[in-house]
Amino acid sequence: MNVVRFPRMPAPFTRGWRTNELTTLAEACAAAIPSGEISGWEIGTTERGDPQLYLIGPAPEHDCILSISRLDRLYILEDGKGQVLFENHNIMLLAEQTYRALRKGKAEIIARLTVCWCAVREFFEEKIEPVVVEPLEVMIHFAPPFAVLA
Amino acid sequence: MKIAKVESQSKKLRKQAGDWLKELRGRAGLSQVQLADELGFKYYTFVSQVENGFGRLPIESMEAWAKALNVEPSEFAKRLLSFYEPELYRLLYEVKK
Repeated sequence: MNVVRFPRMPAPFTRGWRTNELTTLAEACAAAIPSGEISGWEIGTTERGDPQLYLIGPAPEHDCILSISRLDRLYILEDGKGQVLFENHNIMLLAEQTYRALRKGKAEIIARLTVCWCAVREFFEEKIEPVVVEPLEVMIHFAPPFAVLA
Repeated sequence: MKIAKVESQSKKLRKQAGDWLKELRGRAGLSQVQLADELGFKYYTFVSQVENGFGRLPIESMEAWAKALNVEPSEFAKRLLSFYEPELYRLLYEVKK
């Protein structure tokens, strides 16, 4: 008689977050705290009891910038507008993507500041510089004759 | 590592918005999963995020949410504005000329 062995079903995950999951995610976010990208976190659950972790942005708005949910064994990373950024069963990969998403946010801020700085500089060069340079040229032109008279 | 829990006026108002949305969903007889299906979301987690007072409804999706919840879109957006941008709401609708 042949006995067919069915693979054992893995035990269902606990409803809430487990300590090791939170530790892994907290480590991924640690670098974003001193720089002020995230000001804190909150834990919640969905109507069905699936756990969620919300990463909160800076004051005064304290908007949710990233949200991590676990549906059974699947982790989902979303931004504050509901766009799915990543989905996987592996918490380490999720932590890595969370870290990247936070860094991407910072890079976007730096890029915006750079664009602003370039715009201000171009404005200065186009509008202000001719106004400053022209009188200087006039002065250079007329200064020697006046110097002789003096 | 220590991360502080945050509490602010904006958060309180977002929570109120979330409670109101939850109430509307209840009146429409939809679960979070059903509402997410109606809105074409892959997962229902964003519905929960908003109802729990953490996420904000993007302006571009307000009409779809209003229709799914059987509410008039302009009234729906106006009410959400009172939660999300209370000062703008006050200037637009409460300050007399």
